[in-house]
Amino acid sequence: MVSSLTRAFGAMLLGSGSRLSQVALQPKDPCLGGQLLSACHGFSTCAVLSTANPLWKYRIKYTIRPIGMKKTGGRDHTGRIKVHGIGGGHKQRYRMIDFKRLRPEDGAEPGPFVEKVINVQYDPCRSADIALVAGGNRKRWIIATENMQPGDLIKNSTHIGRMAVSAKEGDAYPLGALPVGTLISCLESHPGKGAQYIRAAGTCGVLLRKVNGTAIVQLPSKRHMQVLETCIATVGRVSNVDHNKRVIGKAGRSRWLGRRPHTGLWHRKGGSAGRKIKPLPPMKCYVNLPTAAAARD
Amino acid sequence: RGGSRRALRRARCGPGRCGRWCGGPGRPRSCRVKQALWLTKTKLMKGLPPKVLSIMDDLANQLENQDERVRNAIFHACFWATTEVVPRRKTYCPILVEDLLHLCRTMTSKFPSLSKRMLGRNYSLTATWERESVLLQVHGLNGMLLNAMNPIQPVASKDEILATENYTLETFYPISPTIDLQDVNVYEEKNDTGFREDYPYPHPHTLYFMESNNLRSYRFRPEPLQAKMLMFAFGNALAKARILYGDEPRVLEQPIVVQSIGTDGRVFQFMVFQLNTTELASNDGVKNLVWIDSDQLMYEYAQRIPSIRKKVVTVPAGIHGYDPDTFKKFLALYLHGAV
Repeated sequence: MVSSLTRAFGAMLLGSGSRLSQVALQPKDPCLGGQLLSACHGFSTCAVLSTANPLWKYRIKYTIRPIGMKKTGGRDHTGRIKVHGIGGGHKQRYRMIDFKRLRPEDGAEPGPFVEKVINVQYDPCRSADIALVAGGNRKRWIIATENMQPGDLIKNSTHIGRMAVSAKEGDAYPLGALPVGTLISCLESHPGKGAQYIRAAGTCGVLLRKVNGTAIVQLPSKRHMQVLETCIATVGRVSNVDHNKRVIGKAGRSRWLGRRPHTGLWHRKGGSAGRKIKPLPPMKCYVNLPTAAAARD
Repeated sequence: RGGSRRALRRARCGPGRCGRWCGGPGRPRSCRVKQALWLTKTKLMKGLPPKVLSIMDDLANQLENQDERVRNAIFHACFWATTEVVPRRKTYCPILVEDLLHLCRTMTSKFPSLSKRMLGRNYSLTATWERESVLLQVHGLNGMLLNAMNPIQPVASKDEILATENYTLETFYPISPTIDLQDVNVYEEKNDTGFREDYPYPHPHTLYFMESNNLRSYRFRPEPLQAKMLMFAFGNALAKARILYGDEPRVLEQPIVVQSIGTDGRVFQFMVFQLNTTELASNDGVKNLVWIDSDQLMYEYAQRIPSIRKKVVTVPAGIHGYDPDTFKKFLALYLHGAV
């Protein structure tokens, strides 16, 4: 009723006026109308729509299918530039990586389980390669380790035994179950959070020592990190070891990767330039150790 | 609806309704036929059965000027039916199959029982069965079905059928054999051949699958196509067996044979399936049998315009690499049951 009135009224106005009123009344996509109506007031540009609507990020159901992504150009949801120097590049699709290696299948009983590597392949969204693994009725993507091959069987276990296990590369164990000195990757900071450390191509951490219920790990930056020994890590180095040896070769290839050029303007070098030897930052601790005040009580 | 709701895993198929039978990136292709073999409790035999081969080798079962007429059929499909420079698979694949079927039908004067056949299209099949406490279903539209008034006689003898008891089916630890099947809720566990009970041509004879999509990613590749052919041949046989012998699982006295042929307009897959038993819940006992003859080229490629380099014709126009055996197999499967 309102729209027909507006249209009839708009016909009496000039052409541009009628068009404006119709655009404001009819959001183009009905399924997005509810969420995005506030963003769609008046004329909204495509850039705002695409950054305000990263639907590929809010997927609930897991899938191994590559999901189409929209380019953000470094803008956040408000449309402001948050990261400079991003734009263009080859179209990329997102593959949902399962960073929780010990996520049991729906309906399966808890306990160690085995999966088979089906495929190891390139992923545009990260420097490491990814592996498609299958076990039971489920398939998922994980970060591949250095020597992972299709057909390998990999094990996932939460059990911490009295003896350290002799782990194979690609297996996932809690830190407490691994022998001291093991090279590890895909480490989580809190048990069950999902891996956030040591995921880049060719990196690895070292399990240095285990102290009453915690484990101390050397990160690729040589910084030490203390986490609970129930945190899960993958054994072995991350794949795509030669990632740092590739030659970009020309400015254009950098653009293919979605990086925009630096400015050519001359800047005087400041204090951050030049050689400087700094002590390592102190050990990062993710364990809530009992404080002196708590001990007194 | 009144029925009880049961979770069920469905081997999904059929154009239009859904995608692939078991898709997903990076799935090893060899697994697909193996998976179908497990789902249908079937033993695989390479090559066509000797009975079909004997029909194929008999000179009396061949057309006059057979090679020339088949070449003409290929020419018709690839060149004469269209004015486009590059023939589309969507056009030439169905035309080729129709032409070959037409050639097969000309044998009716020699074998009058061939006239008791009927070609059905767009029929919907439903077959449900239980396999190791998992309920499975094949459902949907599939290719053309050639029906006959009389069933095909069993291909394997009783001894061969009994010998399959010792065969162990391949499993894929740690992967479950039901991986990649679609989960659905069904309200009715039904078996439906897609035809009425009083249909005068009640026995399924041969299924024809045409993978005629122009885009390669939308086409079944040979291995998944064989798996799909196997699932639907099995589904047709099972639905027929349920009508003939009832829903009780049992070893069939008279095994049911269904053939299927799949093609993308160039490569042909031949399959003969024999349903020996409907006892599918356990892995023991008699198994079903399937004979697969895979990846038979009808011709290597069709060149519409000769390719000329430096005023010399390097590749002349026409059909290259024609294989006469492929049509012989096509014809033998058509004549099977009538000769």
